[in-house]
Amino acid sequence: MSTEMLAMILAGGQGSRLGKLTKSTAKPAVPFGGRYRIIDFALSNCFNSGVNTVGVVTQYQPLELNAHIQNGASWGLNEKNAGVTVLQPFASREGEKWFEGTAHAIYQNIAYIDLYAPKYILVLSGDHIYKMDYEAMFNYHKAKNAALTVGVLPVSMEESTRFGIMNTDETERIIEFEEKPAHPKSNLASMGIYIFNWPTLKKYLMDSYSTDGNLEDFGKDVIPAYLSHNEATYAYAFHGYWKDVGTIQSLWQANMEFLEPNNELDIANRDWRIYSRNDALPPMYVTRSARVNNSMVVDGCYVAGDIEHSILSQNVRVGEGTVIRDAMIMPNAVIGKDVVIDHAIIGERAIIGDGASVIGKPDDIAVVGYQEVLGKAVEKR
Amino acid sequence: MRQSDICAIIDLNVPSEALEPLTQYRPIGTLPFAGRYRLIDFPLSDIANAGIRDVGMYMPASSRSVQDHVRSGSTWNLDTITGGIFTFPYVATKNYNNPLNRQRYYDDYLTFLKKSNTRFTVIISARNIENINLQEVLQFHLEGNAPITTLYKRQLASGTTPDEDALKISAAGEVSNIVTAGDLTPDAKTHTLPMAMGVYMLRTSLLIEMVQNASEQEDFIRLPKILEEAVSVYNANAYEYTGFYANINSIKRYFDANMAMLEEANYQALLYSQRHIFTKNKNEVPTFFSDASEVNNSLLGTGGWIEGKVNESVIFRRSRIAKGAEIDHSVLMQGCKVGENTKLRYVILDKGVVVGPNLTLEGTPEEPLVYSKNAIVETDAKTEEGRVELQ
Repeated sequence: MSTEMLAMILAGGQGSRLGKLTKSTAKPAVPFGGRYRIIDFALSNCFNSGVNTVGVVTQYQPLELNAHIQNGASWGLNEKNAGVTVLQPFASREGEKWFEGTAHAIYQNIAYIDLYAPKYILVLSGDHIYKMDYEAMFNYHKAKNAALTVGVLPVSMEESTRFGIMNTDETERIIEFEEKPAHPKSNLASMGIYIFNWPTLKKYLMDSYSTDGNLEDFGKDVIPAYLSHNEATYAYAFHGYWKDVGTIQSLWQANMEFLEPNNELDIANRDWRIYSRNDALPPMYVTRSARVNNSMVVDGCYVAGDIEHSILSQNVRVGEGTVIRDAMIMPNAVIGKDVVIDHAIIGERAIIGDGASVIGKPDDIAVVGYQEVLGKAVEKR
Repeated sequence: MRQSDICAIIDLNVPSEALEPLTQYRPIGTLPFAGRYRLIDFPLSDIANAGIRDVGMYMPASSRSVQDHVRSGSTWNLDTITGGIFTFPYVATKNYNNPLNRQRYYDDYLTFLKKSNTRFTVIISARNIENINLQEVLQFHLEGNAPITTLYKRQLASGTTPDEDALKISAAGEVSNIVTAGDLTPDAKTHTLPMAMGVYMLRTSLLIEMVQNASEQEDFIRLPKILEEAVSVYNANAYEYTGFYANINSIKRYFDANMAMLEEANYQALLYSQRHIFTKNKNEVPTFFSDASEVNNSLLGTGGWIEGKVNESVIFRRSRIAKGAEIDHSVLMQGCKVGENTKLRYVILDKGVVVGPNLTLEGTPEEPLVYSKNAIVETDAKTEEGRVELQ
């Protein structure tokens, strides 16, 4: 078996800043945009870019991710001698192989990567919303004859203080990496997307873990090591919609942006489709008492209430007299009658009883967690 | 659990002239229904929900839409290592006076039945909309006296046509024969008739025997006729199905069945029960409802863009309804576009129909206006191409 470039999606993060929403599920499995989960973007980008061998590195609460990914067929990633492999920590003679950081997670999965003997590996994060052609970045990597190419997003100078910033020379070669610089010299923010020449990276990791084991994290440890050893390290600028949905506020914000007609992500563009696992659900049913405006609704929804500027995910039920405004309702939530939901995220399978209210503010989004029950039980439809 | 004891047969060769132009390029089995399904999803979902793994599918003359929809059968768990979907091609000449063709017809059935290695066979009509528990039918069959069971649904006599098949059921609950609805008197209390559903269950060995006997006869006799005769010979057990049922045999019936899904009880019974209806996945984006949209008692597929009014209608995937447009009591199949300020009432648009702005297209509940696939409608004059008026 051999594949030129293999992708590793890091999907093990806890996403603790998403609070209740990631109490029992990993961040990449968090629902987004009505019918997606966050990892669908990375997986679909892989398929659309012709990257057909993908390892998904999981650690924190992987059940939902496993159930979602299955054999990868939903993303066309079920080819023979390729496809998706979900990688979880395991025990071995050397001890238990928990993942201590992004680079360490790759080190722990060297056996998997070597199974495919790739020349290059593409390291991705499973928690970003974006459409990106990795093949274009790969071509750039080869053209630059780089050992490492870092995907970067040009941001405003003010925002640069919040990111890991790559300072480059006139050939786009990275000469310095600064984590959240107080006085940024450049505006190229690292997206957590890397293409490595695999043999070189493998050597670095093997050397490190046979000695001090200090290469735990790509941003903190590996990039500085590459720079100090003068490895050819380049920055590849991505132009387009990219959102890290690491907090409740940014998750809500990204969903609201998703609702805007003509938003930059351009989800409906069929030349770069985003795929997801599909459940067998009936078409959405909008009843006589419903009003739906400035909103998105998907399969399996039953809508009898008033929906304004909100997203209803799969199989959501909304009772009569209920008003939902500026909210994101995750799959299988059941919302009773005469409920008020405003500036909120309602978690998967949550149940909101008749007459209850969930009211947040634009800068303080209310959250009802996964399977949480609010108010008295709703009559089963 | 061991492999299923039942195999299934679906024959997609069903007369479809009454549904022209909707059936011009597709059999009744792949007619789109209720915003996201095709008719064949219903028998195939019955099959999937009963754990059946062997399906013999007899292809119609125009089988492209069937192949495209069914593919490997994975949607219905029919891509497992044993069993699966076995398709039998349409015999192009269809001249069954030719003994070779005739033998081929019977051999196709015999090959499938013998290879299935199952004890029971269920035959399901390809123009049914239903959600049957076939395991329950099997139990009923095992408890019955007759070696063959057939299904019926009590329907209001007023909703049937005199030439449709119905069952003549004795006081003892046996079917003496299959007759037409016109031959029966409706039940005095319920005004209903026991309508034949074209669904049969029997031992595979018995069916093999029946097909073999038929192949030795002078006259050509097709499987539905073989089964019909067996019902009379054996006084078949009659299983009463009580869920939602429609036998799609005309444009009006097709239209009414779609409208029936806008009654919550029907939608729940057919589409939202414990037995799911499975259909091919499309990965559409969510449907967007604009500021100006007004949607009332309607079913919608995903990928839509709704800026106008939609009332009592079934709107399939990827439809675009422009500002000021009004859709009332209509069925819009996948990918239709309706221009600004255009009004549709009692209209069926086949896939991909584009209707220009400022038009008024109006049929009646009895005779909905039908526009055929990919038609471009730029005037509301009666002579519009693609439009079919029912007589």
